[in-house]
Amino acid sequence: MTPGATGALDLDKLFAARLHAARARPYLATALFALHTVESRRVPTMAVDRYWRCYVSPAFVARTSEEELAGVWVHEVSHLLRDHHGRSDRVARERGLTGPGERLRMNIAADCEINDDAFGDGLVRPEGAVRPGTLGLSEGRLMEDYLRQFRLGPYTEGLAWLDCGSGADGLEREWDLGPDGAYGLSAQERDAVRFRVAQGITGRPGHTPEGWQRWAEEAFHPPQPWRELLGAAVRSAASGAGAGEDYTYGRPSRRSAGMPGVVLPSLRRKPPRVSVVIDTSGSVSDAELGSALLEVAAISRAVGGRRDLVSVLPCDASARVVHPLCRAEGIPLVGGGGTDLRTGFAKALRTQPRPDVIVVLTDGQTPWPSSQPACRTVVGLFPRRDAGDGGWDEDDPDYVPDSPPAWARVVDIG
Amino acid sequence: MSTCTPPVTNATPSDRARLSQLAVADGLMALLRDTTTESRPDEQLEALTLAVAADLPVLLWGEPGIGKTAAITQLAESLDLPLTTVIASVHEPSDFSGLPIVGDDPAANGVPMAPPDWAVRLVRAGRGLLFLDELSTAPPAVQAALLRLVLERRIGALQLPPGVRIVAAANPRSSAADGWELSPPLANRFVHLQWHHDHEVVVRGLGGTWPRATLPQLDPGRLSEAVDFARRAVCGLLAARPKLVHQLPSSETRRGGPWPSPRSWDMTLCLIAFATAAGSSRDVLSLLVRGAVGDGPGLELLASLDRMDLPDPEELLADPAGAVLPERGDLRQAVLDGVVAAVRNRPDRSRWDAAWALLVRALETGAPDLVVVPATTLASLRQENWDVPASIERLAGVVSMSRRADQAAARAAVATKARR
Repeated sequence: MTPGATGALDLDKLFAARLHAARARPYLATALFALHTVESRRVPTMAVDRYWRCYVSPAFVARTSEEELAGVWVHEVSHLLRDHHGRSDRVARERGLTGPGERLRMNIAADCEINDDAFGDGLVRPEGAVRPGTLGLSEGRLMEDYLRQFRLGPYTEGLAWLDCGSGADGLEREWDLGPDGAYGLSAQERDAVRFRVAQGITGRPGHTPEGWQRWAEEAFHPPQPWRELLGAAVRSAASGAGAGEDYTYGRPSRRSAGMPGVVLPSLRRKPPRVSVVIDTSGSVSDAELGSALLEVAAISRAVGGRRDLVSVLPCDASARVVHPLCRAEGIPLVGGGGTDLRTGFAKALRTQPRPDVIVVLTDGQTPWPSSQPACRTVVGLFPRRDAGDGGWDEDDPDYVPDSPPAWARVVDIG
Repeated sequence: MSTCTPPVTNATPSDRARLSQLAVADGLMALLRDTTTESRPDEQLEALTLAVAADLPVLLWGEPGIGKTAAITQLAESLDLPLTTVIASVHEPSDFSGLPIVGDDPAANGVPMAPPDWAVRLVRAGRGLLFLDELSTAPPAVQAALLRLVLERRIGALQLPPGVRIVAAANPRSSAADGWELSPPLANRFVHLQWHHDHEVVVRGLGGTWPRATLPQLDPGRLSEAVDFARRAVCGLLAARPKLVHQLPSSETRRGGPWPSPRSWDMTLCLIAFATAAGSSRDVLSLLVRGAVGDGPGLELLASLDRMDLPDPEELLADPAGAVLPERGDLRQAVLDGVVAAVRNRPDRSRWDAAWALLVRALETGAPDLVVVPATTLASLRQENWDVPASIERLAGVVSMSRRADQAAARAAVATKARR
């Protein structure tokens, strides 16, 4: 604590507010208590830096009620937990955004990400807090999305005073104590605090808003683009032992010349046969299917496959005709009823010659084969949009489809 | 390029002019190569050096062209180890498992598996840094052959001497357009270090000054203490969390990266001991531990290390007047909670009083809101015949703060309801 000389910071009020915040949001208590308060007359309200110091204006504390201060505490600590400074720096680098105006936009976008679900439920929204609605935007997005959707203008004029510090937008402020100042948290300590908060949230889901649960799941495992994951899965399935590449005595090894009398096998690429089973039930959109199918075709070409070795099998409740990929543009993706991928599997495995890899593109609303098929399986899973409503089946609300079996490699697409 | 230079004596004037041009070019290149190094604190380099010192295979992940190879060249130089680079992706499996050589009578003598020349030279030197580059673009069959090299340190019939250290480099899946991912068994044998370029280092390096890797100084006096600490850290965590011992990567995103197994925990133990003996910072240790067992288990281990650093509740209760509480709020609250829990486990009048004294001390030296929950819990532990200690009056501020927060909560509840 840095006590003030005159017109001192009302620490009792500030800490009573923090206590209220920690009681209203117990899963953030660790993070709230890890903040180190620094009295500062240069900050307009409260601001954080990336070393988890919280700069507080005594005048702001004096004129603000405890319940609003509690909201500000939670807001400021959210900037740090959500790594807004690091993400701002990355966005600035990627999109070439420079200057204080852009940093102000980042601060506003970060505030939008926090404020749409931070308040309510025992926590008062502070006066003047920016919400996506203030800028005419929809809720529930990430800072990076918001940043694309608005410019500084008449809507944001009233926000020019807004300043959550370098912890929110990555731009150093003149009041910052910097990396060498007292009571800063090191990178490892910051990760440790964020990890403990994330662990507390994932340990007891149901008590926390969805935004925080999503954060906790992704805090240390940011989602990877599905194209790369699907690519890696198909690639390793298509090139694993037995498929794609193997030793053959059908042709002598290049080393044979130096070793008369010894027959060495050579490593030969056998182009993998890939069978793509597509779930054409009503729930998967054509655009999703199209992009996923193109992706599979590109990947199988990259691992040495030929277009004529990739076949496509549309399937809903019954499997239809197998199409070679060279006619992919004209494949009728008919269907629309319920799905039973078991027929699709059976049909794909019956084709001659047998596929080395089966790639299934589905939304998962299907029964799966009870035993592992004789070839590698990759499942591309489309997100089910109404999954949260619990309405899997109108006739049987208790019906929950099986998750893809353990022998398949599953990639979430979308 | 100048291997077929004709003798100067019968050179034509134009040849001579070209030669002198080349000489000038050589001079320019020599100037360009003339760079110096400076000692600069660099966490990723320190982590790399420690892992190499501990003789654990290291795998550097990083985008192409950000200086992984340069860092390894520097490391070899500063450790005074000859560097052998093998591009894994352009080799066949038999290059790592040995090439069959036919002798006079194969039926009687068998067919020996001969190692490649670089391996022979490496063994003859007895020491060196073996750098396996482009690991992630090596096909699965080559990766399988590399398993034996990395784990058993064998190439064909040849055993790598203990003086040889293994470092590998790979491009992440996002940038290796036609790369394979690392198979989980191979991934489990490496300490994975994410290699980032530091803007400042690159600019200074291009200006002629590269950072210098220094071998972390192991303190001979701390060796047994370091081993003891490492064993306590790893065993303490795994005893409480048996699930962490072995977790094959299940989700697609974590494939090819580090994952916990008894082998990688053994590597972790080794790394903690080395980092402790070298007096490295927690940030370096964090890179190493998370690189060995993955982010989740690694962060849990680091969190339990933080708890190991906290003062023991029993010692605090024995001497509340001399107690030193951590400065950071969340850690301080963890300590106070621990003290109250210790009193709850073995309730006793004198321990209860000592805990109150500790709470008063905490109030005097730090933020008061941290004391509220421990104080409430401690008060509830009172038994009938225990008198309230005099020091409790000094906690009156805490009670009023708690009440103040309650009132704020009540007002907030009204306000949020009204707004809905």
